[in-house]
Amino acid sequence: MSSSSGQSSGYDLSFKILLIGDSGVGKSSLLVTFISNSVEDLAPTIGVDFKIKVLTVAGKRLKLTIWDTAGQERFRTLTSSYYRGAQGIILVYDVTRRETFTNLSEVWSKELELYSTNQDCVKILVGNKVDRESERAVSREEGLALAKELGCLLLESSAKTRENVEQCFEELALKIMEAPSLLEEGSTSVKRNVLKQKQEPQASQNGGCCS
Amino acid sequence: MLKGKLKLPRPLPIPDQLGSLIAGGSESEEFEFGEELEPIHPAALRLHRESDDAEEAIDNDDEGGGGGNGMDHKTRQRLSKDTINRVSVLKSTSEEEKRSDLEHELSQREINLEKLQRIASTGIPDGGGLRATAWKLLLGYLPSSQDLWEKELKENIQKYSNLKEELLLNPSEHIWREGKELSSTNQHKEGDSDGLLRRHEISQEDHPLSLGKASLWSRYFKEAMKNILLLFAKLNPVICYVQGMNEVLAPIYYVFTIDTHKQNAVSAEADCFFCFVRVLGDSVDHFCQQLDNSSSGILSTLSRLSDLLKVNDEQLWHHLEFTTKVKPQFYAFRWITLLLTQEFKFESILRIWDTLLSNPFGVQDMLLRVCCAMLLCVKSKLLGGDFVANLKLLQHYPEDINLEYLLQVAQDISPDTSSYCLSL
Repeated sequence: MSSSSGQSSGYDLSFKILLIGDSGVGKSSLLVTFISNSVEDLAPTIGVDFKIKVLTVAGKRLKLTIWDTAGQERFRTLTSSYYRGAQGIILVYDVTRRETFTNLSEVWSKELELYSTNQDCVKILVGNKVDRESERAVSREEGLALAKELGCLLLESSAKTRENVEQCFEELALKIMEAPSLLEEGSTSVKRNVLKQKQEPQASQNGGCCS
Repeated sequence: MLKGKLKLPRPLPIPDQLGSLIAGGSESEEFEFGEELEPIHPAALRLHRESDDAEEAIDNDDEGGGGGNGMDHKTRQRLSKDTINRVSVLKSTSEEEKRSDLEHELSQREINLEKLQRIASTGIPDGGGLRATAWKLLLGYLPSSQDLWEKELKENIQKYSNLKEELLLNPSEHIWREGKELSSTNQHKEGDSDGLLRRHEISQEDHPLSLGKASLWSRYFKEAMKNILLLFAKLNPVICYVQGMNEVLAPIYYVFTIDTHKQNAVSAEADCFFCFVRVLGDSVDHFCQQLDNSSSGILSTLSRLSDLLKVNDEQLWHHLEFTTKVKPQFYAFRWITLLLTQEFKFESILRIWDTLLSNPFGVQDMLLRVCCAMLLCVKSKLLGGDFVANLKLLQHYPEDINLEYLLQVAQDISPDTSSYCLSL
């Protein structure tokens, strides 16, 4: 099944991923590094930005629709609508700014509980900017402790050096695929698309017959 | 769901942002902010809509090469309305005419604002400081009587420096400044830096929204920009600074700073500040989280955009809202709060702002129409797209769009639901 749908749509499974965390922690940078292999100066995200990445994980072609949200508090009332239907959520903090870490446990994780519609939604904790080791304000141990509390994995990354960037998306995808309910969601959204694509040419053929 | 939310008026913790700005100033009576939106008179608007074929044509323009003719034709058509009975003039000629029309208008002792709005709405020619003067007039920052300009500008510089003194410099800085001024007066004269950015130092590609660290703007910009935004934040503590405000300030700052008049360049920072406040005047609530659900908040404006689209093209509206579920908050939030500054190339932004600022019914009214026109102009692509394709298209609006046509569509759009119903 997966191979046939894969051939017609270019991927086997489709997942929605959300990036959250304080302003300036590097959410957009992680995403841009992941998508385009380049490190750029980026303007702050206003509202939401989103990107698509097709990649192979565990032999499956995955299409990830990644929603990159604005971190500044002003934009938070709008964030609620972005959580809907997400199978994976990446919580990002900046290892050199302690408040971005405490805000994850005090603000963002609560927001997530409130708005996430998926019971089994997979989370991953990412401590970004480890290239600035000398400025580090959050230790790896503290990161691990929070990850344990949230029941998720921790990765320390650098969008600048690309360290662990791909891994954080791949690990998340793997975990999502391990959850049967999410796997089901990911494949039904593909099937629905394939069905649509199949229906359209048929409809036009019928039209041709009638006329 | 959006509408449901909007019906719940929350107690507003903020008295009035503009009021608070006034309260913060020392000479409060002299702050006069953006006028309230006047009711729209449908009869005053040209309602001849381009046919759907024309929309198709623009979609085709995106894909194929043969879009040039259509554009020239349209542009000429429109320009010929404004210049007197001149048929088939070359674009450059009409640009020249527009320039002299505008120069003539701006040289009058008493400026006719309606006339200025009419000329400016078709685009202000670059150079000669025309745009800077026109924008100041359109925003109501300069009075229509030319005799008052000098006095007005002087007072504003003074007012601004008082505000800065009062709010941006802390006591220790005062002392430090005094010491520094004494010791550095000579140095100051030696270098050519009188604190101004010179026109020849700026390349065409470099502008206030350039992100590279090498950008002259990003270096120079920072100080003046910071001052303006910081002052705004101090005077509006509830709104404070919201990311993206810098982008709204950028076109104003650019236009005022490259103004060729020496005196205007000196007062650029002060002018920018007051004009920035005026530009935000009728949309400042969009930046305020506490007002998101109020009638002046961003959610309400987004739903007005949705209504506007529904009235003008129900098929497209239905396809976006229901078939592909591409909600306005996913793409138009940024369009509206940042007045389109992130969606187009810099020179296009200036052109769009000419139209926004010269709308007699206010910036927001035209902004919504331009947003709606942006949707109408890529209609066929949107109708063929799914959620992902459509969101991608709208978050990265095609650069090769025919801007003059887009703005014409915007001008011709039925302004709002009630007047549309009347016109039926």
